[in-house]
Amino acid sequence: MNQTIVSYLSKYEFYKTLLGLFGGNESLLAFVIYLIVALIIIGFCATVGGLGTFAERKISADLQARIGPNRVGPYGLLQMLADGIKLITKEDIMPYAADKFLFYLAPLLALVGVFATLAVFPWSSGFAMSDLNVGVFYLVAISSLVGLAVFLGGYSSNSKWSMLGGMRGASQIISYEIPVTLSILAIVLLAGGMGFGTIVAQQKGLPFNWFIFHNPFTFIAFFVFFTGALAETNRAPFDLPEAESELVSGYNTEYTGMRFGFFALAEYIEVFVVSGVAVALFLGGSNLPVNIEVDFLPLQFVEVIIFVTKAALLYYVVIWIRWTLPRLRVDQLMSICWKYLTPIAIFNLVGCAIWMVAFNGKSLAELIFGH
Amino acid sequence: MFVQILFGLSALLTVGCAIALAATKNIMHSCVFLLGTLLGVAGLYATLGADFVATAQIMVYVGGVVILMLFAVMLTGGKDFVSKAQNLLGLAPTMGNKWTYSLAGLVSLVFILTNVKLISSIVKTAPAKTFTNEMPSTVSQLGHLLIKDHVLAFELSSVLLLGALIGAAIIARPKKNQ
Amino acid sequence: MTPATFDGLMPIVILMAIAVLLFLGGHFLSVYLAPKKPSHLKSTPYECGEEPVGTAWSMFNVRFYVVGLIFIIFDVESVLMFPVAAIFKEMNEMGEGGYALIVFLSFVSILIEGIAYCWKKGDLDWVKSFQLTANKNKK
Repeated sequence: MNQTIVSYLSKYEFYKTLLGLFGGNESLLAFVIYLIVALIIIGFCATVGGLGTFAERKISADLQARIGPNRVGPYGLLQMLADGIKLITKEDIMPYAADKFLFYLAPLLALVGVFATLAVFPWSSGFAMSDLNVGVFYLVAISSLVGLAVFLGGYSSNSKWSMLGGMRGASQIISYEIPVTLSILAIVLLAGGMGFGTIVAQQKGLPFNWFIFHNPFTFIAFFVFFTGALAETNRAPFDLPEAESELVSGYNTEYTGMRFGFFALAEYIEVFVVSGVAVALFLGGSNLPVNIEVDFLPLQFVEVIIFVTKAALLYYVVIWIRWTLPRLRVDQLMSICWKYLTPIAIFNLVGCAIWMVAFNGKSLAELIFGH
Repeated sequence: MFVQILFGLSALLTVGCAIALAATKNIMHSCVFLLGTLLGVAGLYATLGADFVATAQIMVYVGGVVILMLFAVMLTGGKDFVSKAQNLLGLAPTMGNKWTYSLAGLVSLVFILTNVKLISSIVKTAPAKTFTNEMPSTVSQLGHLLIKDHVLAFELSSVLLLGALIGAAIIARPKKNQ
Repeated sequence: MTPATFDGLMPIVILMAIAVLLFLGGHFLSVYLAPKKPSHLKSTPYECGEEPVGTAWSMFNVRFYVVGLIFIIFDVESVLMFPVAAIFKEMNEMGEGGYALIVFLSFVSILIEGIAYCWKKGDLDWVKSFQLTANKNKK
């Protein structure tokens, strides 16, 4: 069963009033609701992306005992708007030897890949745009478009720095997809379903019900997932595709103006998406800390706030890691993926499967407290 | 209605990109059009109710095979690479000549006729299917089939993939005396 | 009634369409707002201020291809494991957990064999195997 935001809202009275306004055409109403929700979500995510750049600069300034942006608006908060306007009004330069078609296509692919993941993003128990049966699997699959975009962006520029960055980026993103997928498999195994709704609904209540504390294997799996996710989003210490000290700016060296902006936007939204997925899979998702079964619309907004807060905390950790750890070498990158993370992820998967059968699916807390 | 529109769009994407793939002379562009074709096929699967297969299509083909193809193109040095190899008839490999066209035409004719013959009996006997309101998830059905009815095929596919992995590793390994 | 299964597809299409529209919108906005003074020097690929030498589209190391190949194999394996993992809990509750575990573990063990083989033969090393063979050839 696929729950969507439309099927959730249809439980309430005002849905019938709305349906009356649309002359009983449910498909049209569904389309309008989806369109409005999609615009809200994208507006929110673009703001999060913009705030991400701002937070990045502020936090890095904090870590390096500087002040950071403080001129535009209160506390420099409007810096992101200034950045956006600057990007739009910059001249659009394309290298003469570039592959024009692919040069245009690459940022579009990144944008499409990231926005499409938002369709299954579990904002709250009712407010997920669409809770597909194949939720997590779909998210992993469609986000691989970003890796393709990185490669094509690097290739089409016909610049040596871009080419090296694109090549590195593509091989890094596909390599780290394996430990990430295997960690997700462990959670799918425990939850008994791939839909985000199924996964989140099983982590109701206090933190010891979260999947990260379900058993020792999931605890390790969270860190494998998080490390792999950092690498998939090209964040430091895995930012080899755009290593500014060796590759100038990597795959987006030749990109200027709005097209560079789209790459940056896609990257910052992807970090938020990855944080959100980590929250939904391991850290209890949007569940309230108390176990109540009340269907009350304002409660959904509380859930959204809980979810976004958790994701924002993880976002902070991501930025914190970036300004703390030095960059890896490319051979270290590959050996970490294939010799450490992948075997550990397989071990976790096997451990979770054995745990499921041995303890009949009970979590560690249930075994200790016995209920 | 929406599903029918989506089906049509997916079909258009598939066919359009396939034609563009064959028509373009830039091999990198061909790879990208192949990406469009594969995404279109995923859309077709999704609109026919095969949600898992559609996602697997995106995961394996878009996320894997297309990137691998792009890597393979880069092994030859991008679009400017010109092969000096000759085919069986002693001709330089081109987009085609009268021999290849007539051979391919014959083969595809035989192929289409065989398929029509094979499918016609199924189409005649099978009940007409419509888009139903509630389609059960294909995931649990697939899981049960894989783990119960087709468990041997499931395990054998793992062995097959192991063979593919070892074969790939051996082929790509540098030769000792070179 | 809207079909429930296909209903879930609509947001995906809408979001993708919005992504395309946003891209086009941003593009046209920058066409109108941005200055346009093209020159040959501006459009040379960046090579630290030097004249660019040759093209960037050169042959690449075969390592990238090997990584891609290994990735695809693991990718297909994980695709096959997903539906089995999704019903694992259900099987366990039905009392067939032991059978499912054996099936699952034997599948994963073959996967482990693959990675162990590649590790042993040095296919997972980024530079080592190449340097070793190159050094051997020198001797």
